[in-house]
Amino acid sequence: MTTKGYQLSRRQRIKGRWGMLFVTPAFLLSTVFMVYPLLYSLYISFTRYNFAFDPSPTFIGLENYIKAFQDKAFLDSMQVTAIFSVLYFVFVMIGGLALALMLFYAKGRTGLFRTAFFLPIVVPLSLSSFIFNWMLQKNYGLVNYFLADILNMGHLTNEWLSTNPWAMISIVVVSVWGSVGFEAILFLNGLQALPGDMLEAGIVDGSRGFKTLYHIILPNLRETFVVTGIWAILQALKVFIVPSLVTWGGPGTATTVMYMYIYRQSFTYLDMGYGAALGFILSVIILGLSLLNMRLSKRS
Amino acid sequence: MTNHTNILAHRKLSMRPGQVVLYAAMLLLSFVMLAPIMLALFNSVKLENQILSANMTFFPRSIHLDNYQYILERSAKYGTYFKNSLVITLTSVALTLVFCSLGGYAFAKLPFKGRGLMLAIILFMMTFPLAVLLIPIYIMEYNLKLINTNIGLILPIVSTVVPFCLFIMRGVYMEVPDELEEAATIDGCSVFQTWLRIMLPAAKGGLAIIAIISFYNVWGEYMLSKTLVTRESAMTISVGVTLLKGEGGWQFGVLGAVVTIAMLPPIIMFMIFQKQLVSGVMSGAIKG
Repeated sequence: MTTKGYQLSRRQRIKGRWGMLFVTPAFLLSTVFMVYPLLYSLYISFTRYNFAFDPSPTFIGLENYIKAFQDKAFLDSMQVTAIFSVLYFVFVMIGGLALALMLFYAKGRTGLFRTAFFLPIVVPLSLSSFIFNWMLQKNYGLVNYFLADILNMGHLTNEWLSTNPWAMISIVVVSVWGSVGFEAILFLNGLQALPGDMLEAGIVDGSRGFKTLYHIILPNLRETFVVTGIWAILQALKVFIVPSLVTWGGPGTATTVMYMYIYRQSFTYLDMGYGAALGFILSVIILGLSLLNMRLSKRS
Repeated sequence: MTNHTNILAHRKLSMRPGQVVLYAAMLLLSFVMLAPIMLALFNSVKLENQILSANMTFFPRSIHLDNYQYILERSAKYGTYFKNSLVITLTSVALTLVFCSLGGYAFAKLPFKGRGLMLAIILFMMTFPLAVLLIPIYIMEYNLKLINTNIGLILPIVSTVVPFCLFIMRGVYMEVPDELEEAATIDGCSVFQTWLRIMLPAAKGGLAIIAIISFYNVWGEYMLSKTLVTRESAMTISVGVTLLKGEGGWQFGVLGAVVTIAMLPPIIMFMIFQKQLVSGVMSGAIKG
């Protein structure tokens, strides 16, 4: 008995050593390109460090953070991000759920529709932004062509990318297009995990269609809502490629989101200390909202 | 089983018209989702004057391959972008496979002190926006003279896909029954041999999943590629495309062709591996 116990623990120790060896490559890489940059970034966020002028960072305490909250352009970008996030969140969640429900309720073949819904996930955002920029142009864009020449509603055509609120709506649409399929996969997974007799119970009770959906299916998707919700929040706050390539942040600063502003401070003006501080403000918001979402969905 | 068929039969009787509406709606939505992709493809086979003219159409009236010919014969630049994308993507996928097939196994089956903390740290990193990490990575690579090199892109890109893929592999290995492993140990296999001969083949499905996920993520990577590369010779297609606009007037047909070719690799991968990808995203996300 004791020998066996000894052997087991010895084997465990050997396994542990191999385990450490096995994680070393991944851990080294994460340390060099994530943990170290994160800590260094935290440090320079307390310094004045313009990469073009300053030979090395100078410690200035909280000055960058104080400056951030007095920086009107940054506060504006925060507001833009908030508006974008709310719109994106609502549409990607409703859209994702709707697509998933369609696939779930369809009784025939759905293979082709699945492919169509999910395909945009793998199209690089920089390419799809490029195409959408094309589609939304005033004179030769597909959207205006469709409105004027196909639907004969020329009065609805617009300069989508350079007028308010259409520029914002455009980047929401492009972002939702690119990621709604992913949300649909998550929702579909949640729906398929529901026990079959639960749905049957609803039918026996005489509640069908939307009633079953509202009273039985949605309340039981709580876990799925947490996952999809957090994912949508993270996506919304990190939005960068779409506004920088579809509307270039405009008109004016109407679609200049936080991420773009941070990027510009860091890599256009090379004000890296300030850029890092702004990055951490964004990180805190992201972490806070993710935690809040987890809390809320646990309680309800 | 019978219950299930009952439900289906019941629903079928009561929801026939509903199904017709449902399929019509799905068809319409499919068209909306595919329209941008089709537009790039269709424009790539039109002639220049069919794209810009007042009487433009969505579908091409005839098919011309002039734009593709132009890319092949006249533009070395696009070739460079594609070559870089290919080299960077394939190397990154290979590295991700190695790192995650090893690391995932350790996190699933080889407990050691501090393992939980290590996993927590790696996953915690996923929530930080790349914007925060970008500055130090840039400074580091600037000092090491890695800016404008392929390896300077590959390493940080791999580090952004590793956490998620590691997590998926951990889940995959955890589902492999312990008995398999014990049998191998009794047969005298070392931990490494067990991994190589038993666990790796058992986790084949997982490897396919992370290969696809890392493939399309790396192929479409934009932030790091835009920041760490300034020279055309080292640029990838996902960034290169965004710079093509002005050149030689607005050659929309050529742009359509470039965009189409650039979209093709991830789309082909998706078509082939759709089932694995969908199930992989599900397992990874749900356990996350």
